[in-house]
Amino acid sequence: MAARNAALKVDWAKITTSLGLRGQTAASLQAFKKRNDDARRKLQQLSELPTTVDFAAYRSTLKNQAIVNEIEKRFTSFKPATYDVNRQLKAIEAFEVEAIKNAEATKTKVDLELKDLEKTLTNIETARPFDELTVDEVAAAEPSIDEKTSKLVSKGRWSVPGYKERFGDLSVL
Amino acid sequence: MPQLVPFYFVNEITFTFVIITLMVYILSKYILPRFVRLFLSRTFISKLSDISKK
Repeated sequence: MAARNAALKVDWAKITTSLGLRGQTAASLQAFKKRNDDARRKLQQLSELPTTVDFAAYRSTLKNQAIVNEIEKRFTSFKPATYDVNRQLKAIEAFEVEAIKNAEATKTKVDLELKDLEKTLTNIETARPFDELTVDEVAAAEPSIDEKTSKLVSKGRWSVPGYKERFGDLSVL
Repeated sequence: MPQLVPFYFVNEITFTFVIITLMVYILSKYILPRFVRLFLSRTFISKLSDISKK
């Protein structure tokens, strides 16, 4: 009963949004929620069905009393079958462990992404206009500049390809 | 003019070679690489600003 009450208190939409679940975890949770809803709906439908049978009415209307007696005997001797749900419980526990593991993995991933995004945001906010940057700052931000420089210098080439086309040339020769 | 007096020719040629060698070394080692680096960063920045304008 306590488990049922706890299950009723679960806010599924909040779980997905507050934990920021995505991908396999979210899909598994959605499937689990669907199973839960289906089971609850089925239970509701079944509990609404009548469980008593008016055998006296059948006896008065049917001529064949033997059949009614037989059915009544079977009905009173009927016991609902009990199932061992331990296996399912174990499966649910395993699923829970897996889900928690997945959620934690997702959380660490999201945290890392958030940190990266915050870093990018501060970078954008504190960025200066291009004309205020020094060559050293640009080279520090883009290491390929130094690599290209050393490559060109080692080849003995002092002109940068594409520079003249973009910025023109003041050379008279 | 002492430059045209043959007595000084050896001295002049020697110093010309020394100065030229020194200039080539200093230019290729220190000055020109700085210009290449500057040109490369200028090209990189202008590409970036083109992208940000779009």
